[in-house]
Formats: sequence, C-alpha cells, structure tokens
Amino acid sequence: MKQRSSKYLYLLVLLPFLVVAILFEIIPLLMIVVNSFRPEGGGAGVTLAHYATIFTKPLYKKAILNSITISLTSSAFGIVIAFLGGMAARRAGKGSKLHNAYLTVLNMTSNFAGVPLAFAYMILLGNSGILKQWIPFLQDFDLYTSTGLNMIYVYFQIPLSTLLMIPAFDGIRQEWQEASTLMGCSAAGFWTRIGAPVLLPSILGTVSVLFANALAAYATAYALLMNNFALLPINVSGMFVGDVTQRKEMGGALSVVMMILMVIAMGANNAIVNRQRKGGARK
Amino acid sequence: MKKKTWVSSLYIVLVMIYLLIPLLATAVYSMFQKWTGKLPEGFTLQNYVELLTEQDFMLSLGRTVIICIVPIFLTVLLVLLALFVVTIYFPRLEKYVQLLCMVPYMIQGVILSVSIISLYAGSPTILGNRLVMLVGAYCIIILPHIYQGIRNSMHAVNMPMLLEAAEMLGASKIYGFFRVIVPNIISGITVSSLLAVGLIFGDYVLVRNIAGTGFKNVQVYLFLTMKSSSTKASAVFVIIMITTFLITLLVLFLQSRDTKKRLQKVKG
Repeated sequence: MKQRSSKYLYLLVLLPFLVVAILFEIIPLLMIVVNSFRPEGGGAGVTLAHYATIFTKPLYKKAILNSITISLTSSAFGIVIAFLGGMAARRAGKGSKLHNAYLTVLNMTSNFAGVPLAFAYMILLGNSGILKQWIPFLQDFDLYTSTGLNMIYVYFQIPLSTLLMIPAFDGIRQEWQEASTLMGCSAAGFWTRIGAPVLLPSILGTVSVLFANALAAYATAYALLMNNFALLPINVSGMFVGDVTQRKEMGGALSVVMMILMVIAMGANNAIVNRQRKGGARK
Repeated sequence: MKKKTWVSSLYIVLVMIYLLIPLLATAVYSMFQKWTGKLPEGFTLQNYVELLTEQDFMLSLGRTVIICIVPIFLTVLLVLLALFVVTIYFPRLEKYVQLLCMVPYMIQGVILSVSIISLYAGSPTILGNRLVMLVGAYCIIILPHIYQGIRNSMHAVNMPMLLEAAEMLGASKIYGFFRVIVPNIISGITVSSLLAVGLIFGDYVLVRNIAGTGFKNVQVYLFLTMKSSSTKASAVFVIIMITTFLITLLVLFLQSRDTKKRLQKVKG
C-alpha cells in the first residue's frame, strides 16, 4: 500500500511537463479551433460563416490556391533534383570524396532558409542583382514575383529532399542492377521499371514532407514580398499581428484550413511509412 | 560505364555550385564597398568593424543567445523528468507523452504563434508577458526534436538494464537515473539541443508574431537592416551563416563520433 501511494507521488514529477504542454500547446490549439466556429465580435452561438467566407471570398481562395500551388511546384522540382542527386551520389560511391563533399554542402545549406535566404537572393537577383551583370538574359528577371518566390522555395527544398533520398538509394542492391543488365535491360529501363517503383514509398514520403515544409514557410515569403502576396501563412499572421485589431474568429478558421492541409500531408507520410513497414514484415 | 560516372559527378558538382552561389556571393559582397558592375570594388572590412562595435547589434546577439538557452534548458529538463517517470513507473502513459511531444511537429511556427498570442495577449497574468509567451512557444516548437533525441538515446543505452544494475548495486532509481543514465545519454542530449539551437537561431516567424519588434534578435535585426543598407546586412548575414554552420558541423562531428564509438563497442 505504501509502495503504491509513493508511486503516484511520482506523477508530480510529470507535472511541470504537463503544465507547459497544456498552457502553450493544448489550450492555444483548442481555442483557435473553437474560435473558428464563433460568430465575429464575440457573440454566443456556433457558426460556419467563416469557413463559407474562406471558400467564397477571392482573397482567401487565392491565398489557399497560391499556397498549394507553390508547395506542389517546389516539391515537384525538389523531388526530381533529389532523385537525380540520390542516383548520382550512389554512383559516386559511399565514402568517396565527392560523396562526402556533397553531404557536407547539403547539411550546411539545410538550415539556410527564411530571412537570410531571401536576402541572399535579393543580392543575387534583386533589382541590381550581381548575377544580372554576368548573365544578360536575367536582365529582365523580376525576383519580386511568384516565379521569384518559387525559385527560392525550390532552393530550400533541395537540401532537405536530397538528404532524405540519399539513404533511400541504399536499398537498391547492386545485384538487381547486374541481373537486369544480364537480362538485357538498359540503365534507363532499370531506373524506370525497377528503381523508381522500389523507391516509390520514399519518394511519396519525401514529397509529403516537402509539401508540409513549403506550406509552413513564412519568413522567406514575408522577407521577399511582405504582405503583398496572398499566401496562407501570411494571411493567417496578418489576422493577428500588426496595426489592426485581432480577428480571432476569421483567423482561427484560416488557421484550421492550414492545419488540415498540414495534417493531410503529414498523414499521407505516416500512412506510407506504415504500409512500407507492413510490406517489409510480410517478406 | 566510365562515361556515366562522369555525368553523375558533374551533376553533383553543379548542384553544389547552385547551392553555394548565394552564400559565397553574399559573403564576397559583404567585404566590398560596392558591387554594381561585373566585379566588386574597394575591399573593406568596415562593415564588420561597424557591426561588431555597434551596441544595437551586440544586444541583438545577446538576446538571441539567451532566448536559445532558456527554452532548451527548460525543455530538456522537463522531457527528462517526464520520460523518467513514464518509462519507469507509468509505461502506459508513454504514448500520451509521445503524442504531446509530436503534435508540434505538425503545427509548426505560424499556427502555434498566432494561437498563443490570440489567447494570452492582453492577459493580466504573467502569461500576458511577451517574453514568457515566446519562451513557452519555443519550448513547444523544439519539443519533438528534444523528445526524439532523448528517447532514442535511452533506447540505445538500454536503460532498463542499466537501471537494474544500478539498483542491484544499491542506488535508488532517481540516483540511478540522474547519475548513471543521464551521463550515458549526454551526447544524445547535446546533439538534440544543438539542433534546437539551430531551429531557434533561424526562427523569424515566432519572434515577429509573438514579440513584434519589441524583442530584436539577429533575424529581426537582419530583416530591418536589409531594408536600409545591403552591405551592412550582408555582414549580418555572414555572421548568422557562420554561426549556423558551426552548429551544424558540431552536430555532424558529435554524431559521427557516437557512431564510431558504438561500432567499436560492437567489435570489442
């Protein structure tokens, strides 16, 4: 009996962790969801009006569409560059100088995002960008557009996606390639008919991580275009921060839409990982 | 076959150049008076001298260091205590602790920051303090990384066995945990703390949304400077990037040292 009560005394040790998690994680998130169903101005009742507004008002529709488009485009570029990169790294050979240099550069640049990245691109390709002096056809390139933003997003997707894909290529055995060559399959045939299907779970998993990564990115877009570009994270922040009074209800609804998109992306990743694990066990 | 190796090497080199150009160009830019033609003109370190003697910048560096240390120290301590209790006394609660720790991974900075300010801004309690909110938000943002780091290294050292051995030698569970387990997983804790430093150091959205310009860290400093002087901002950029790389290199070094140690143990 004494043993038991002293055991429950240890729950007190768990308390500090719970307090922080409840105060800064659970209640804030619950409240933002609750607020999204409240009528604007703090009246009583439950309403779906904010969600209706989001899907009818052009400004919000555009923000959602822009966010999804830029996340998909940058993920597509990212995964293609990473796939080729993984293939190349495998051919260069693990432990070779080039392979190590590649990994070092990727790791170094994997934390290169946000305000510093946007700034570096302004130096390179801004109105009087350095690269414009060297490469004539860039003369008319305008960085402060969605194309420019896309380019920067692709940049920060490359290290992340390649670092995720390189280990996946370890799963492709040299023997498979030899066997397929013996049976008369070309290298391109091997990669499209054997390599890519085997790597498909890793590819899809990486794409969903990339998608979530781009969707949540705020600092890069804000540093480049301030509030002049409709994008989910920028619109969400705009509802709560700045000179205007907070629009908790509308902002809450927008946040919920963004969270749902994140959960879909992450959920897809989890589902893929789980299926892969099950498939592995069946063997 | 040989020709193809050549192609893949070229590909790797091209990607590396593409990734390094923005970094190197900005670094060179910071060391010259101006760069408006093809080549930069007037080598100078004036930007750095100015920056490092400017009180405003040094203060923003100091703020950044403090805002890195406090949440990381807190989170490591809280997670250690929580995992200690849960793994030893309440294994059934483990999955709830895990859930709490992994949720922030899905929400990320923007939503977390706006939900915290919409709840606590204007609150008369201590929670209404912007710095308290910021520290709390950082604790939550780094939680998944710290949790995974600590949990993985607990598994790696086989915690139940070590604790049993310590108990057989007459140590209490608490003593065993903090004097035997923690020293054994300290490198895992260091690595995940360093990753967290990288996260907080590179953060802009939480600081902007929660503290506004009231708490100028180096990222906010860079943001404000790049609107006024691009040469000065490029020096700030270089200092930020060098710090980030040092953190990354330290992480890579510690990780490779750990793997080597483990491999040696397996062999021996």
